[in-house]
Amino acid sequence: MVQFVVDVLIRAVDLALIAIGLSSVYSLIRFPNVALVQYATTGALLALCLQMAGLPLVVAAIAACALVGIIAVVLNVIVFERLLRAGSAIAMIGSLALSMMFSAIFLVTAGPRPKRFELEINPPLRFLGARLTEHQLMSVGISALAIIVFALILFRTDLGRCMRATATNSVLASATGIDTRKVTNTVVFLSGVMAALGGIGLSVKGEMSAQLGLDMLLPVFAAAILGGLGNALGAAVGAVVIAAAETMVTNVNFGPLFGASVLFIPAAYATAASFLLLVVVLLIKPYGLFVSEVKRV
Amino acid sequence: MFEFLIHVSIMACLYGLLSLSLNLQVGFAGLVNFGQVILFGCGTYGAAIAFSHQLGPVAGIALGIVFAVVVAAAFARLGRNLGADYWGIATLAVAEVLRILANNEAWLTGGAQGVSGIPLLFGDKPRPMGPLMTLGLCVALLIAAWWLCQRLTTSRYGLALKLMREEPQLAASLGYDLAVLKTQTLMVAAVLAAASGFVFAHYITFVGPDQLVSSETFLIWAMVIIGGSGNHLGAIVGAILMQFLFAFVPFVKDALGLPSEYVAAMRLTLVGGGLLVFLMWRTQGLIPERIGGKQNG
Repeated sequence: MVQFVVDVLIRAVDLALIAIGLSSVYSLIRFPNVALVQYATTGALLALCLQMAGLPLVVAAIAACALVGIIAVVLNVIVFERLLRAGSAIAMIGSLALSMMFSAIFLVTAGPRPKRFELEINPPLRFLGARLTEHQLMSVGISALAIIVFALILFRTDLGRCMRATATNSVLASATGIDTRKVTNTVVFLSGVMAALGGIGLSVKGEMSAQLGLDMLLPVFAAAILGGLGNALGAAVGAVVIAAAETMVTNVNFGPLFGASVLFIPAAYATAASFLLLVVVLLIKPYGLFVSEVKRV
Repeated sequence: MFEFLIHVSIMACLYGLLSLSLNLQVGFAGLVNFGQVILFGCGTYGAAIAFSHQLGPVAGIALGIVFAVVVAAAFARLGRNLGADYWGIATLAVAEVLRILANNEAWLTGGAQGVSGIPLLFGDKPRPMGPLMTLGLCVALLIAAWWLCQRLTTSRYGLALKLMREEPQLAASLGYDLAVLKTQTLMVAAVLAAASGFVFAHYITFVGPDQLVSSETFLIWAMVIIGGSGNHLGAIVGAILMQFLFAFVPFVKDALGLPSEYVAAMRLTLVGGGLLVFLMWRTQGLIPERIGGKQNG
């Protein structure tokens, strides 16, 4: 049981980071940015390059996150502000096109073979009978910390109040003197940083490949939609639900339910489970589990 | 070289069918379908399953159309009360779930190995005649589909679709049942896509889950947007243009002496870059939609 919770948490935190970024940008500019999952791969790739250039992993990770945040803002100003004038569906297709360009860049720079961070290998720690490695513990801790910091920014600072005001009613927000463009770009920067951190977290625990971002696309969207697109903390809950569904499919023995001793669902269906969950939820609650509008500023 | 050109032409016609089908959904009804490739897959697997059960090609096309109509009905049911961006992600999720099913249920679909040895449509004819006759069939199919789409969209029905795309609430207030309109459009589009899949299966002689990855959907999207969404001729021109550009990428790679991953990267850049350029600077595409009644349409 403890192992199950640990597995779910390890999977959920990185998903949550990217999904929160997606959701909070959506709350401001009303389109789901598909390219965000590619920012995650970019973060991992940059961190890997910086580490190979001789920087310690922590420094490399921080630099990569900041760089990806800047890339996200630049792309938002150059590409998405223009596309959004033609409508949110156009902007979404544009973000898809952009993510294909990212794939092409990854193929040429990183190559098709997966890569790993240079980390020393330690025996796994024991925690209440569950096994987890030192790197997993560190990366889960850092990601969880980042989520908490983001929540504090959103609910305890002036910037967060401006963000929530812009999300609720951007016309009214700019009438009261909030620079909505600046607020939007700040959130885009934060979303880039969180996506990069999520990508680095994923590749520290596994490996970095050009496919990393695209493989995360549907789970991240599933998490964000489950939580109600635009609701940042709902996305975190959605990520836990998705991670639990995926882990359940692969790790739980369904045998006793059907009178057989061992019955596992094939591991290939782990991803299918989260997509199916998404479709079912959308059928029952078309706008996700939680109402997406921020009620109180 | 002659046979290669015939091959590219056949593929261009089959993609033309898919592009017409997506254009009907996106360009006329405003349905953001990111699961288009699975409607094509219904056609290919219809042919494959009929072949592996020795049912003959007529049963194959019937099976493909039945599959496609069922999937279209499911898409339409999902879309009944979803926003366009939610629906786009939901169709992408359904398409991925079905692809994973095709990849794993080997008893029905042949699993990851797929089904091979599907007979050629004109296999008994001598070498240059067989492919030429297939090309003739594909061109005839494309013209028939174009005529059907043209009839459909220049009628009152087409006007209702455009009204639903531009002003859904007005359309509903005029007594149009939007759910029925969406379902009908999706089903017509699904039959076109399934026809393309059926001919594809009997031309390539192999059907597998790798033909149904979501990047194929995005390629079809690029054809529609670049050609001109909302214009049937545009969709066909976009498909032919992209197919011929794609076909000559390997020659460019050889001429420049680049490694083979550059083929994939260059194709991704063509699709993503082409989409982005047209979305940002020429949203109406190469051949813009004709606005107005019958006198100029």
